[in-house]
Amino acid sequence: MKRLADNVLGLMVGCLSIATIAFLVAPLLIATVMSFDSREFLGAFPPPSLSLQWYVGFFSDASYLKGLQVSLILALAATALSCLVGVAAAFTLDRYSFPGKETLSAFFLSPLVVPHVIIGFSLLLFFSTIGVFDGWVRLIGGHLIITVPYVIRTTLASLVGIRKSLTEAALILGATERRAFWKVTVPLAKTGIATGAVFAFAYSMDDVSVSLFLTGPDFYTLPVAMTAAMRSAFDLRIAAAAVCLIVLTIALIWFLDRVVGLDKVIGQGVYHK
Amino acid sequence: MTVLELSTVSKRYGQELAVDNISFQVEEGRIVSLLGPSGCGKTTTLRLVAGFEVPDGGDILIRGESVRRKRPYERNLGLVFQDYALFPHMSVEANIAFGLRERGVPPSEFPARIRSVLDLVKLPDYGKRNPHQLSGGQQQRVALARALVTRPSLLLLDEPLSNLDAKLRDSLRVELRQILTSAGITTIIVTHDQSEAMSLADHIIVMNRGRIMQRGSAEEIYGAPANKFVADFIGQTNWFRGRLNGGRFVTEDGLSITIAGKAPGGAVELGIRPERIAVQTKGTTVAVGVNALDGVIDKTEYLGSTIHHWVRLANGRRIHAVVQNNGQCFARDGESIRIEIRPEDCLLLAPDEQDPPEPRDGRQPICTHVLQEGEGGRRKVS
Repeated sequence: MKRLADNVLGLMVGCLSIATIAFLVAPLLIATVMSFDSREFLGAFPPPSLSLQWYVGFFSDASYLKGLQVSLILALAATALSCLVGVAAAFTLDRYSFPGKETLSAFFLSPLVVPHVIIGFSLLLFFSTIGVFDGWVRLIGGHLIITVPYVIRTTLASLVGIRKSLTEAALILGATERRAFWKVTVPLAKTGIATGAVFAFAYSMDDVSVSLFLTGPDFYTLPVAMTAAMRSAFDLRIAAAAVCLIVLTIALIWFLDRVVGLDKVIGQGVYHK
Repeated sequence: MTVLELSTVSKRYGQELAVDNISFQVEEGRIVSLLGPSGCGKTTTLRLVAGFEVPDGGDILIRGESVRRKRPYERNLGLVFQDYALFPHMSVEANIAFGLRERGVPPSEFPARIRSVLDLVKLPDYGKRNPHQLSGGQQQRVALARALVTRPSLLLLDEPLSNLDAKLRDSLRVELRQILTSAGITTIIVTHDQSEAMSLADHIIVMNRGRIMQRGSAEEIYGAPANKFVADFIGQTNWFRGRLNGGRFVTEDGLSITIAGKAPGGAVELGIRPERIAVQTKGTTVAVGVNALDGVIDKTEYLGSTIHHWVRLANGRRIHAVVQNNGQCFARDGESIRIEIRPEDCLLLAPDEQDPPEPRDGRQPICTHVLQEGEGGRRKVS
């Protein structure tokens, strides 16, 4: 009887896992297939025949291309800045103990829990008050705030796994604090930093809610352009754009796998033995 | 030459005084052990010497020069960490080369120095391996090689054998002593393991609650403990409270034991090591001057090389006695026997104070006499 209950529970967990995977993957699959639809209108799934018309449409639309360009530059800039700030912050939080450390740590991670709409709105008010109207500065500032917590979290997770004795060993062997940081800490934390960078890039590319407040009619990101298009002229170019973003993300993960090793990024890199 | 000198060094963590006004010196080529239970301040002392902590009071001198304001990387020390702290992202060779590079040794010298130090620790073919491919004992030797290759003025070992299993520990202890001797390097070993301290060090500093309890050779510390803490920490002891009465010690429970030598004034505790107590069958003749007490074997533990007896004396007192298993028959539970204690095996101690006094002359050089004996025997490694 006991064993039966165990088996039933095991079966249920298995089914739930499969359902979850299906739920996660099915919409992506449908969007991908639909982006190759040859019909001129938004028809039922599956499409009767395939074509590349929506991709052609996407890449010949000036507003999409402009948004894509802004999004890519913005994501790269936000990721670079996030890594710089996030690694420095994570290192400080990990290495030193000082009064208010917990508060500071909570503060750094707070953008994870504060709704992005509120961040976007607050930033809009803030930038207007201090007189910053440049689109780039506004967007990079906003994206820095939402991406930095990811870099801090992943870097901190890998720093915590680095024994303090390793840094001390470097010091006693003659390395200065700076050398110990570059020769021991950074190589051991690089998987955490790289993971944070991928998250930062992905979230920056994906963000709508913060960007919506910080963009204007002639300066916008791809997700903002897609949102706007969805309201005015809904067609499958959005599906094509989505597939392009998926491909970009996969390319990024592949690149990361080649550079630092994906297994390390996901497992061992975060928690050293 | 004095390599290291601590003079009235103190370190406080919050309310707790981790190191309380300690002073000692280490002469060139000596192996000194800081021995004590966890929390006695030995590791803090090591970290103060290494420069990971800054003393609140006193001064630390390395080769006569104060290092109070110096960073760890300015002190020319070698340190083997308890967890070895090998860099996991570097090969054995790269680990060893790290210190050479950071100290500005010309790269052309690296291969020869790495080879010679790997030979010293008997791992000549392990240079290309990664630390995680090595056993615990091998990692420890690589850590030792990494510390020795830079030719530090002082080598610090933090609990060097505590991460190894018991069997390996014994064989590595012998090997470690060999390596240290052939490297001829001044060494401080921090340990809580008395046998580690006794076998590796030629001078032992026993610490408790941040203070130095006693310093001396293993023989001095075991044979003539300065106080009850030292006697209890190193080895086991049967304790009797009582008072001196001429050449005898009368215990509170009415035993009268003949003692030898001069007893400290006001001595009220008598200690007898279990292995100094002889267990004899009744009826044999007692040598002149030896204390003989009748008793019954209460309990016996057979441990192979030794046999532990708990003997119940006529007055009800239980005594712990250890005899060597020499293959002859030994007393069994319930057997009536006689225990014999020689007067010179009696340790007489003043009452244990809360804070046993530490000689305040602080700068007294430690064990210079032992240094003279052992000085010629050391060779410098290449």
